[in-house]
Amino acid sequence: MGYAIVQVLNALSFSALLLLTALGLSVVLSLMNFINLAHGSFYLLGSYIAVFWFASGAPWWLAFPVAFLATALAGALLERFPFRGFYARTHLMQVLLTYGLSVVFADLMRWGFGAQILSPELPEPLQGVVFLLDMPFPVYRLFLIGVGFFLAGILWVLLDRTLWGAVVRASVADRGMVETLGIDTRRVLSAVLVLSAGLGGVSGALGAGMLAAYPGLDEEVLILALVTVVVGGLGTFRGTVLSALVVGFALTFSKVWFPEFANVVAFSAMAVLLLLRPAGLVAPRLRQV
Amino acid sequence: MRDDAQPRLAATRRRLLVGAGVSTLLPLARPVLSQGARPLRIGMVTSLSGPFTALGESMRAGMQLLLSQSGNSMAGRSVEFLVEDDAARPEDGVRKARKLIGQDRVDVICGVISSGVALALRDVVTEAKVPTFLLGSANDLARKAASPYIVRPTKTNWMLGHTAARWAYDKVSKARVLTVGSDYAAGREYVGDFVQTFQQLGGRLGRQLWTPLGSADFGPLLTTIASERPDMVFGFFAGSDAVRFLRQWKEYRLAGRIPLVGPGAFFDQEDVLPAVGDAALGAVNAFNQSPTAPASANFNRAYMAAGKPLPGEFSTNGYVCGQTIKAVLERVEGDLSDWEKARAALFAEPVDTAFGRIPFDPRNGQAILDIHVNEVRRSADGKMINTVVHTYESVRDPGPDA
Repeated sequence: MGYAIVQVLNALSFSALLLLTALGLSVVLSLMNFINLAHGSFYLLGSYIAVFWFASGAPWWLAFPVAFLATALAGALLERFPFRGFYARTHLMQVLLTYGLSVVFADLMRWGFGAQILSPELPEPLQGVVFLLDMPFPVYRLFLIGVGFFLAGILWVLLDRTLWGAVVRASVADRGMVETLGIDTRRVLSAVLVLSAGLGGVSGALGAGMLAAYPGLDEEVLILALVTVVVGGLGTFRGTVLSALVVGFALTFSKVWFPEFANVVAFSAMAVLLLLRPAGLVAPRLRQV
Repeated sequence: MRDDAQPRLAATRRRLLVGAGVSTLLPLARPVLSQGARPLRIGMVTSLSGPFTALGESMRAGMQLLLSQSGNSMAGRSVEFLVEDDAARPEDGVRKARKLIGQDRVDVICGVISSGVALALRDVVTEAKVPTFLLGSANDLARKAASPYIVRPTKTNWMLGHTAARWAYDKVSKARVLTVGSDYAAGREYVGDFVQTFQQLGGRLGRQLWTPLGSADFGPLLTTIASERPDMVFGFFAGSDAVRFLRQWKEYRLAGRIPLVGPGAFFDQEDVLPAVGDAALGAVNAFNQSPTAPASANFNRAYMAAGKPLPGEFSTNGYVCGQTIKAVLERVEGDLSDWEKARAALFAEPVDTAFGRIPFDPRNGQAILDIHVNEVRRSADGKMINTVVHTYESVRDPGPDA
């Protein structure tokens, strides 16, 4: 029983991590129709920031807002140049641009932080463990689950329940109409990209304790995030949440039951899912104008 | 328009031909120009991008250290050192080795981290008859893929899996031993050789778990291990997998409760231990490299004087590779033209290296190595350090007998 509970918690903690990275990617992809393959770089930058912040002795919990702000700033700069010029371009051009940038960032980070694997010394309060019916489960992962779903909740309220969120969605649906209402849509879209970059960074900071930080992690994370977004269906918030849970549970329980074939089983399950529901778990309502 | 285009095309073609002619003549001209003291060209193939980046940089640093200590000359010949990146991909490795052989005309090739690359290079260097000091540790490199042009100044996976089993059976546990490994060639060999020797000795195994290379999360696996409650775990992971596994091993409170044994790469001094805090404290590993082995002391000092951390396997490998090349050259007075003779001179007498005094097995060019049993202990300054607790002397891969 304790075994089953802990495995479910394992799956939830991995889902939380997937959710955070995928949300950053999905807001930009679904709200702005912009493919940002440099999202993994924001994640890795956030991880490095957390590693150094925890080692610096400053209050540990500040690492997360700092990672958010730093990567959001990087996002803001990139948004001014060159992302802004590519919003209206084809997906292929966006892929070329952002993939190229991600390679440049990977080299910059390798140069700045070194090639060795870094992992953060977790702060005291997160180092503990709880025993559930005699089975150990780390407190850090409970924290991950809590923060992950909490941030997802905030984002949902922000985008789905506030006027600002409505403006963002409207800007995507019909930019011209929103402009005629006197709203500067360019600023709205910048804000979304900055938010996405910040989310990437904060998820990196949170995930550093689980995944460590090293060159190449950016790509690994990007692939997981892309899988989550695609399985969930483009353009839906609920889809991404649901998909993070599905992918997290699939990857975790395939490791529990068929550790040897974990990836094969999990990714075949996802392929079947996409065959059955090509538009993703939650197909977006088509907004036609 | 066409009349205009035609001569210009011809002009470029002519220029191209001239350029090609000059560039093909250059390598031919070089030996004539500098006859006598032609520099020795050593080409290294290693991973400077991809999953083994950090290891490749260490290997290069080890080799560079030896070269600078020798004043960039071996047996009176000045040395030119060229490095190529294989990105841990066999096809890239082959391409780079062909470039080193065909274009750069190297006298010697060395390096390689990924066994996949090493096996792919085997045929390339054998066909080209280029003396090669090949690292990588797949058992086949000392068995089916052995080659008269290849010298192997490092261990094979069998040497570590086999000795780890002997130690585990004698000192840790004879039954209820669970194995967990990264599901790729090296993991299969380490765990397979451990299992074989352990069972031959009469040990009994528990569950055997495998997980794909590059697992993000070991939580599910560790929860399974916790529920199995084995008496000992034999495991193998490398690089970032090792770091994640060991950190999570501690987070799930298995550290200190279940003895953990593995081959040395799992607890590499330079690559893994600095990133895992005290999570590996008390773990035991079988390894041909140890910073506390007496033979390594001089190398440790020199390497750290260059601003590096305590050396691990790959920096030592790079250094030992250089020491072996140097020993061969000194034994034949710098003349590698007769490789048959040079090879015989190398096998005639052991070579003093940072791995200790190593004889080479004349059957396959494989080093016969002392395998240390290292325990991860806390040093005086609080750092984790692989500390030799026992040494199995002169461990020889079964080679063609296997």
